Amino acid sequence: MSGEQNGPDLSLAEPEARESIRLALAIGSGDRAAERDFALRYLPRVRAMLLARSRNADLASDLLQDVMIESICALRRGQLREASKLTAFVLAIARNVLNSHYRGAARQPESLEFPDDLPDLASAPDRMEAEQRKTMAMKAITVLDPTDKAILQLTLVEGLKPGIIAQKLRLNPDVVRQRKLRATRRVVEFVSGQSQNAPGSHSLTGKVP
Amino acid sequence: MTTCIGTPAEENALAYIEGTLPEIEAERFEEHYFECPVCLAYLQAIQAVGQELAHEPAVRLEPVRRKPALAWPALVWALGAAAALLVIGVAGIRFFAPHPAQPSQAQLAPATPAQTAPAPKSTRPLPAQQTAMELADLALPAFEAPNLRGAGVEANFEEGMSAYGRGDCQAALSALARVSPQDLAARQAQFFSAACRMHKGDLAAAAAGLHKIADEGDSPEQESVLYYLAQIALARNDPATAHRLLLHSIALKGDLERRARVEDQKVLALINRDREAGTGSPDAK
Repeated sequence: MSGEQNGPDLSLAEPEARESIRLALAIGSGDRAAERDFALRYLPRVRAMLLARSRNADLASDLLQDVMIESICALRRGQLREASKLTAFVLAIARNVLNSHYRGAARQPESLEFPDDLPDLASAPDRMEAEQRKTMAMKAITVLDPTDKAILQLTLVEGLKPGIIAQKLRLNPDVVRQRKLRATRRVVEFVSGQSQNAPGSHSLTGKVP
Repeated sequence: MTTCIGTPAEENALAYIEGTLPEIEAERFEEHYFECPVCLAYLQAIQAVGQELAHEPAVRLEPVRRKPALAWPALVWALGAAAALLVIGVAGIRFFAPHPAQPSQAQLAPATPAQTAPAPKSTRPLPAQQTAMELADLALPAFEAPNLRGAGVEANFEEGMSAYGRGDCQAALSALARVSPQDLAARQAQFFSAACRMHKGDLAAAAAGLHKIADEGDSPEQESVLYYLAQIALARNDPATAHRLLLHSIALKGDLERRARVEDQKVLALINRDREAGTGSPDAK
């Protein structure tokens, strides 16, 4: 089981830690609904992590399944010693999966069993949120100033540093850094929908309305 | 519930995605956003934009073009024609101008499309003099201390900005004047010194300081420099120059864009009203 011999003190734990403990214990005791909760909770986080680390959406999607399966199987087997450290446990599995991939290990998830009774990992709420984000991101991009767009594209897609971008665009590197930060802040506000709540604060361009 | 307002993401997310965040900090950030929905949303938003940008065609920006060099005979002809036009122009101005030529106020004139917008010049006393001066925003611009990892802040700059934060312009000016011109913070020191002078009402010295920064070329301070030069122009009752400077500031699309845009609307209204008043429009008040 969870390995917490004296039982965790739920009353003192922070809400996140309490939820971690609940999930770890429930999955360990065979609660399938808890596995679904676990997937709902960690899918977006692990996806964000894998995408950031791999910079490859397809690879991140593939590895995401492995991480979730491996995590759930490990929790079923009671491999998590301290239930409150569920997040660190999942993160460690995600890093291992990613590292194994890059080391070229012909690996399978540790469990190897691929149980049939795993929760649906294509969680609907998560997909809906991702779709909404995608729509907002597309809108944010359409109204970006061309130079800001180029800077973000060269940064986020090409992975270039401000110095190189500055040479390409014939700008001062400080200006590139500044514009990159401003543009990032604006698109994040736009995508997060914060700009919609602050009237008139989401003008992304210099176009005269 | 998290009490985080997204600061860790603002500080780390971009570098994390770029892969430039040191591994230990990247891991710390991961541990944070795995538990923090605010920072997770921030990160996901940047990733969503990055993914969409990956599907977009690469932005092709017009490079700064150099005009093709003219062949030697054409160059001679062009120079000759330019000289002739200059002579004719000068003669024409002397012959036809009703008043002596006014001194140029356009020390800052980078060619941008924004400059093509009408910016009538008017140096005669304005009927709405008070309004133009009232528009001027001479308050001290906000200063945000940089959050640079491992970068020490120059002691004089720190002292100066501490005084600046307290609104003590005299002490700020004194400390900022001691910042070495070779220091990384020199340009910022120059800018905030000018801001102090502007706030104290020494508009000529403030404008000189700001022009000096502008003359050094594009910099992170450029937008603020243009914006505050516009404020000084307004304080000097010169809405036409203020309008032109505000357009330059807006064209940089920075933090002050919205503020400059709103103000420029007011300045334009003022200019139009003055123009009507100057032409004796019956509607002008």
